[in-house]
Amino acid sequence: MKPESEKYNKVVNLLRESKPVLVSSDDIEREVMNRLKRVHHSGLYLSEVVDFLFGWVYIGWVRRSLIAASIVLVFVFIYQQSIILKRIDVLSRQAVIIDKENAVIPSVEIEKLLMVYKNSGRRFPSKTITISERQMKELVESVNELQIKYKELEELIEGDPELKKLIEKKLIEYNRLRINL
Amino acid sequence: MFFTLLLNRRLNSTIQQSILIDIKLIEECRGGNFNNFRKLVELTTPFAYSVAFRMLGNEEQAKDVVQETMITIWQKLKKIKTSEVYKTWIYRVVVNKCYDQMRKRKRNPEFIADELTWALIANKVSEGASEALENSETSKIISLLTERLSPKQKAVFVLSDLEGMSNDKISEITGISKSAVKANLYHARKSISERVEKYI
Repeated sequence: MKPESEKYNKVVNLLRESKPVLVSSDDIEREVMNRLKRVHHSGLYLSEVVDFLFGWVYIGWVRRSLIAASIVLVFVFIYQQSIILKRIDVLSRQAVIIDKENAVIPSVEIEKLLMVYKNSGRRFPSKTITISERQMKELVESVNELQIKYKELEELIEGDPELKKLIEKKLIEYNRLRINL
Repeated sequence: MFFTLLLNRRLNSTIQQSILIDIKLIEECRGGNFNNFRKLVELTTPFAYSVAFRMLGNEEQAKDVVQETMITIWQKLKKIKTSEVYKTWIYRVVVNKCYDQMRKRKRNPEFIADELTWALIANKVSEGASEALENSETSKIISLLTERLSPKQKAVFVLSDLEGMSNDKISEITGISKSAVKANLYHARKSISERVEKYI
């Protein structure tokens, strides 16, 4: 069923035939053009400034040179990074770094250092242990001091049989206590 | 026979020339030719105004829509794929601007139908007015008849029954499916018919 009636058709025909008349078309044109000119001019000003500042990048040889330079820079960067990574890899495998200052240490001391390092390696199962030179020296000094004190104590005990017996007795008691625990 | 051929050829060439001129003008504007845009505004304004006025039923608002449309056209003319789609695109921009205007107007309704206006319309219709209506009269009639329609129904009614476009074209302009165009048109016609029967 069509909803349109005769009256409807009459009204619609009347409206269709009555084309809207635009009286002030010139005003619309003028207004549109003025508004666009304002936008256009401000846009032009901005583009001129941008062109003045960055226009040189559109010059052919400048552009080609910039592209070449950027490619070279990228390759240099990659090369440097690979070298740095290699160095880091090598250094990470070295547990103790011995620099030229360490070379002054006498060979006996180095042997001691190595021994301490070896022993400490048993305590710390991790693959790499890094300690500073100062810490290493302190450690060696304390070991030396301990050795001297131990020798003095040994001599002292050897010189006094009563003291030796007392200490032996104490040690036996101490060991018993440890077993009991 | 010879004359018919000659006339056809002349007609074809005339039509092609007018299309070519239009396309050339649009192409020049697309290329950024600001001076030629005035000519394009002059050519485009009448049919943009016609659609806007019939959809909104208000002269001032229709003028605003036309201005906004022309500015949008200048800003986005480069983005249309070809110059051939220019007219469809213009209609689409106008219809969308009218939707915006209707949304604004919804917040501030202006027109209130009264008995006197209905009497005026009834008089004009019953007279079988041979002369075209004035803008103010057209505006009142459109406002009264379409005030209950949704924006989509209004657009479809104006484009189909007043501007005489096909459903395919309307679907292209409004971006709604052909079946939706038909449904909207049916409801618009029904609503307007009811009002016409009731008041006139």
